Amino acid sequence: MQTLILPFLVFFPMVCAGAGYAVGHKKESIRDYFLWIVTAIILLVTLFLKGEYQFVLKGFAALSISFSWEGLHRILAVMTAFVWLITTVVSKIYLKEHPNVNRYYFFMMMTLGAVMGVFLSADLYTTFLFFEVMSFTSFVLILHSNTKENRYAAHTYLAFAVIGGLVTLTGIFLLYGTTGTLAFSELKEALLHLENKNMAYITGFLILFGFGAKAGMFLVHTWLIEAYGQAPVTATALLSCVLSKTGIYGILVLSGILFLHDEAWGMMLVYFGIFTLLCGGILAIFSIDLKKTLACSSMSQIGFILVGIGMQGVLGEHNALAVDGSILHMLNHTIVKLILFLTAGIVFFNTKSFDLNHIKGCGRGNPFLMLIFLTGALGVMGIPLFNGYISKTLIHESIVEEIVFLEQSAKSIVEMQTIEYLFLVGGGLTVAYMTKLFVAIFVEKPERYCPKHSSSFLKAVLCLCAVLPPLFGMFPHLTQDIIAKWSRGFVYGHPPAHSIAYFSFVNLKGALISAAIGAIIYVVFIRTALVKKTDQGSVYIDRWPNQWSIQKQIYEPVVLELLPFLGAFIARVLASVTDGLIVLCELVIFNNKMGKVIPKEDSYFSVYEKAGKKIFKDNLSKSLVFFGAGFAFAMLYILW
Amino acid sequence: MVGNKWLLFPVLFPMAAAMIFLFLKKEKQQQIYIFVSMLIEISSVIWICITNKASLQFWQIDKNINIMLQTDGISCFFACLISGIWLFASVFSLEYMKHEKNTKRFFCFFMMTLGALMGLSFSGNFMTMYLFYEMMTLLTLPLVIHSGTAQAMQAGYKYLGYSIFGAGLGLAGFFFLSQYCKETAFVPGGTLAMESAAGNETLLLIVFLLMMIGFGCKAGMWPLHGWLPTAHPVAPSPASAVLSGVITKAGVLAIIRVGYYLFGAEFIKGTWTQQVILCFCIFTIFMGSMLAYKEKLLKKRFAYSTVSQVCYVLFGLMLFSPVGFCGALLQIVFHAISKNILFFTAGAVIYKTGKEAVSQLKGIGKEMPIVMLCFTMAALSLIGIPPAGGFISKWFLAEGALAGELFLLGLIGTVVLMVSALLTAGYLLPIVSKGFFTKQSEFEKKEPCFLMTAPLCVLSILVMVLGMFPGGLLDSITKISNTLFAFV
Repeated sequence: MQTLILPFLVFFPMVCAGAGYAVGHKKESIRDYFLWIVTAIILLVTLFLKGEYQFVLKGFAALSISFSWEGLHRILAVMTAFVWLITTVVSKIYLKEHPNVNRYYFFMMMTLGAVMGVFLSADLYTTFLFFEVMSFTSFVLILHSNTKENRYAAHTYLAFAVIGGLVTLTGIFLLYGTTGTLAFSELKEALLHLENKNMAYITGFLILFGFGAKAGMFLVHTWLIEAYGQAPVTATALLSCVLSKTGIYGILVLSGILFLHDEAWGMMLVYFGIFTLLCGGILAIFSIDLKKTLACSSMSQIGFILVGIGMQGVLGEHNALAVDGSILHMLNHTIVKLILFLTAGIVFFNTKSFDLNHIKGCGRGNPFLMLIFLTGALGVMGIPLFNGYISKTLIHESIVEEIVFLEQSAKSIVEMQTIEYLFLVGGGLTVAYMTKLFVAIFVEKPERYCPKHSSSFLKAVLCLCAVLPPLFGMFPHLTQDIIAKWSRGFVYGHPPAHSIAYFSFVNLKGALISAAIGAIIYVVFIRTALVKKTDQGSVYIDRWPNQWSIQKQIYEPVVLELLPFLGAFIARVLASVTDGLIVLCELVIFNNKMGKVIPKEDSYFSVYEKAGKKIFKDNLSKSLVFFGAGFAFAMLYILW
Repeated sequence: MVGNKWLLFPVLFPMAAAMIFLFLKKEKQQQIYIFVSMLIEISSVIWICITNKASLQFWQIDKNINIMLQTDGISCFFACLISGIWLFASVFSLEYMKHEKNTKRFFCFFMMTLGALMGLSFSGNFMTMYLFYEMMTLLTLPLVIHSGTAQAMQAGYKYLGYSIFGAGLGLAGFFFLSQYCKETAFVPGGTLAMESAAGNETLLLIVFLLMMIGFGCKAGMWPLHGWLPTAHPVAPSPASAVLSGVITKAGVLAIIRVGYYLFGAEFIKGTWTQQVILCFCIFTIFMGSMLAYKEKLLKKRFAYSTVSQVCYVLFGLMLFSPVGFCGALLQIVFHAISKNILFFTAGAVIYKTGKEAVSQLKGIGKEMPIVMLCFTMAALSLIGIPPAGGFISKWFLAEGALAGELFLLGLIGTVVLMVSALLTAGYLLPIVSKGFFTKQSEFEKKEPCFLMTAPLCVLSILVMVLGMFPGGLLDSITKISNTLFAFV
């Protein structure tokens, strides 16, 4: 059914962004309430819009944009609207006394529209269109505080967004060139008849680059740590909860539609996922900055999702567990990260710092904050009875399932077994760094007095969010299973053969192993190597060598220095070919000694300037004017 | 003289108007006069384009040499575009030229150039086109050397030398070509007589290559691109805006006429010449962007950017496919608009602050918010960020490149287009971001007056709206390309 509600969801926030900006110049509080209402309207519409809808606008930007309202689109739209409402509401508190708040709100609303456009898109063209808009509007959110580090982070983000966008665009060109369509409904069949799949893989890889960069995939993750760390905390929440999911959405389109049930593609994603989750986890363990740890944690969790998406391809037709697991982990990660970043915001509000040594113990004696933090932390760790457990278990079980398949068909299971172990280690890393954060904030003795301001309004908002992880974790069949049922159609997933007993021992085992690994890492490694005992309690040390950064060691020198140098060298040589020839000719022809001609200086050109007041004298312009006049007369003569 | 005499009006009117203009004394009078005559000009052009598909046999010099005007799809397209841009440029220069000397001379030649360009657009055969082409070169020269400094004189020399040499190559090529043509008038699909051409293909292809290089000079194609980065920065901003946005397109028009109306796509497609010229285009696209990225003077940076962007057009044209052609014409429109915006902003900045180097532009966005907002729009379009206009043209160009038979060259071309887009982002976005997001808090508002901001705003809205809803534009372009690719 064609409906205007879908473009409304996309363009209404953009229009309101402008209105809000105008209002904000006059009165700030009215703007705040106005934007609350706008986001609330968006949330209500997404919640209560039932049924399946399509919207196609032919001829927009040469092709067409098309939105779709069903299954996954709807779930993601609700998720976006919810996160946006919460962050908009708390921004009023967090951004108090910040400069340029008006600009911030403007771009926040623009980003909302663009993100909606991405999630509702029903063809890759629309996805890309709004993805680009989103990249640019969110750049301003990151740039908000405009310090030196902040500018560096924001420009890194922009560089990745621009480069990623262009690489993806190249991929989309190739895809459109080979298949002639970009609509999701037609892409599934598009590559089936291709004989040479290598070109298709290159295409897919190019498209993956941009989406992967936004998600924070390994090798293109470097912007993430900087940008998440430098953005205002509400913007970081948006980046981590929603914007990274737009990248995942693109990857889902690739692997769930374009390369549906393609094993090689799936395997590649699994490896990327494993590297991402390990790299993120390790960086998080070493970090001594609350926000940076959470940022790395985001990366690590994206790794889990990527493994799940990869397993969809590896498992082929029987990928129910992987499909459900990866989609649910997207949602669960959003919920817990929202809670964690908001808590981090409160900590910052009270202590004006994210440094673990500075905020150490600031949550001690604040049971409310501790509970809120715990729901988020336990959720992301994947502890039973909290939401993360369900999705992590599903992904883990999908790996186990593949091992069983391989055993049945008597193939080598070494590779998959390794992947499983690494996956569990990744879970262990999550447990370890979240424990580190928890201990640092809530257990250690504070060195200095920490104020415990927090408005009751904020508390209410946090409570609302904090209900979700246990609710989703304790009643998975009533909540998560239903969400999975709605959304799995997007990637052509089937329902699982039988209902999953989440709390059976087989399934609990994975979580327990992870928790055990995490405990060991914490006690053996973190407490000994990363924490130093002193008289004033423990001090967290940054043992990550500064120069260990792919960005600073490889990307920046290559992209900013080596390539421009080479390019400019080639370009200059090319550019000076003609002028060089001319100079050479002059040298040869206008040479007195060789008996050649030397033309006189052109006196007409030189006296031109000295002509004085009179416009017409003996100069070039006079000749030209007379030429023009003569021409005109000739024309007139011929006319009549 | 046979045919519709009204066709002469848009050609002669600006010339006549320029003459009368010289007798006006008061500044206010001059301003209104210029504005009104531009309005008359553009409405007459539109009227001619809408009403009659006519031709005018103007002056029969010889059996084969005659001066002939005609309206067909491509001439209407160019005439409307050029006169539209000219209107904006003249409104902008009304204010800008206040800080220059010799404004009378400037406006006089400025208007006469428009007449020559109209003649060029409406020309119906090669001789007419050549006549107006040379006339345009000569009439724009005073615009380049306007300031009269030694540097400007040098640049003028260079401009003149390159242009005359290029046009000469084109003319020489035509002497060869005319032996093998059925007629000298422009015919969609080419006028080559295949019987007489048979056996002489190599000669004709070489001739084609030389003509392309020759006319490519105006369009800034390597190897004759050298005049652009020299001439653009010294000219007054409105002049460099039209030099870059319109005069380079005159070269493109000549290439379209020669490639599609004399030789014909059928003859060229799939030959080595096509590949060689495509390679030239790819070189130029990369070279222009790279040098712009390294350039520190604002206007010179834009000049290099023009070298690169106009070659997108040539790249699309040289694909000789309907989609590529469509992308090329779209690129003509969007580049003309965006580059004009960029040069206007450069002009506004120079006019108000006197700053010419990129490094001086910190915080400029706070001083001139409207101007820099327009700059941002133009930058987005030039890079090709959706939904700005440049994205659409790039989409068609890449699609045309990848769909054609030249798969490898098309692929390289697409990759170079993307690299160039990246470099474009590299040389435009830092200006925006340093202009708007700066630490400094105290700013003096330096927004220029209405006459300067109005053309900027209208053009920036146009580039966005046309980018989002290019339906009408695409229709008219498709009509043109249908006549050209009838053989497919």
